[in-house]
Amino acid sequence: MANYDFPPGSRYHAVPVAMRVGEDGTVVPYLLRRFLPPLDGFVTLHEHTVVEGERPDLVAARELGDSEAFWRLCDANGAMHPDELTDTIGERVRITLPDGVPPPARE
Amino acid sequence: MVQGIHLTLMIGPAVPVPAPRMVVDALQSVEVTSGKDKSGFQLSFGVSKDSPLLTTLLPAGYFDPIATRVVVMVTLGGFPHVLMDGLVTRQELAPSSDPGQSVLTITGDDLSTAMDLIELALPYPNMSSTVQAYQILARYAGLGIVPIVIPPFIPEQPIMTKKIEAQNGTDLEHLKKIADDSGFVFYVEPGPLPGQSIAYLGPNIRIPVPQPALSINMDAHTNVESMSFQLDGLAKETLLVNVHDPITGRLPLVIPIPSVNIFQPPLGARPTPPLKTVMSHDTGGDSTEFTLKKMLGRMLKGAANAITVSGSLDVLRYGHVLRSKLMVGVRGAGLAYDGLYYVDSVTHKIKRGEFKQSFELSRDGLISLTPRVPT
Repeated sequence: MANYDFPPGSRYHAVPVAMRVGEDGTVVPYLLRRFLPPLDGFVTLHEHTVVEGERPDLVAARELGDSEAFWRLCDANGAMHPDELTDTIGERVRITLPDGVPPPARE
Repeated sequence: MVQGIHLTLMIGPAVPVPAPRMVVDALQSVEVTSGKDKSGFQLSFGVSKDSPLLTTLLPAGYFDPIATRVVVMVTLGGFPHVLMDGLVTRQELAPSSDPGQSVLTITGDDLSTAMDLIELALPYPNMSSTVQAYQILARYAGLGIVPIVIPPFIPEQPIMTKKIEAQNGTDLEHLKKIADDSGFVFYVEPGPLPGQSIAYLGPNIRIPVPQPALSINMDAHTNVESMSFQLDGLAKETLLVNVHDPITGRLPLVIPIPSVNIFQPPLGARPTPPLKTVMSHDTGGDSTEFTLKKMLGRMLKGAANAITVSGSLDVLRYGHVLRSKLMVGVRGAGLAYDGLYYVDSVTHKIKRGEFKQSFELSRDGLISLTPRVPT
């Protein structure tokens, strides 16, 4: 179920909201935990090699054209924390199509 | 590549699969039009006499009408946009004596075409219009269509012993009739992922979150190639309905119905007044509920919007894909025409290294109601 508190480009857009009722009857809404999608749903287009001074948002801006889409790179590389993506120089970052989008045909 | 735009083209009988390399290589241009209630697409392929498209795929039925489903999808900034999920309806081949000028054109419409094929005569005993709509749409679950049907505001429950509602025509015609009776709209919208679609039957709601602003004449902030504004003073009209007084049933009472829509709040501070007055030519005899539903439906539909805008933009410059049936801000056109607009239709034109859109916007009056539009 889409969550309209977050824009469509946000990673929380598809995360459902749950309610917790406290002992005194107060209702606290909260976002359910978001799990990383399985890696086999992503199709690699090419790889990006991390150089010195790079951050996830810089890679996203250069490769995807949108710095706020850095979380898509984390999803595609199985990185729980964004800094894991670029903490080693020379590391290869998979640049992929969005989750569930089929690859271009080879023949 | 991903830097910029990635086009995914999926074609196939029943289940669309990614198009083979030779098909993508031959693809010259893609045009997708998404309007208020209908969308269409056109694929143009450059073909030579011994191209595998003409020698193998076309005779084997790769582009057969209705049997072939086409999904056009664009990935921009890592975000997937399904522009079209439809069925092929036409093929056109224009062979040329000049080398490299032969063109094969494939034209099609959205998935609502599948609902417009077979005329049926079916009774729907004891079923309200919502149940009827769900029953019709259940036949198309195989195409990946998820129905969303909003019940009418004045519900009418037909009882078998009094009258039996019936469908007399194609499924699409009956759905449109259900929508029309309560002033609703019906359309099939592709997305959010390939192979999925949403069939919506409900009021024409304007989602209040607007898309990034279209700016013109603003130096570095300009993201639109061209835009032109028209105001038609004769577009709006007031409808007069005659109702006989309930006691004697003889004296006609004239009730004017203004062209306002409770789901479409005014976007202009100075609405264009309705200059035309028309009489309702519907004769009476309907039940009170039905008459009320019809009048409410008329109010839900509103009238034609007086101000229309047409223009074009380059998606790489704009940075987003402009979508129809949503709102968008306009800047740089001056005090009278700036502000929020409703996007009526968008045409996507994709060629190699180029993604352009032309759009039609509309609004009910001059001068913006919001002090600023989101950029």
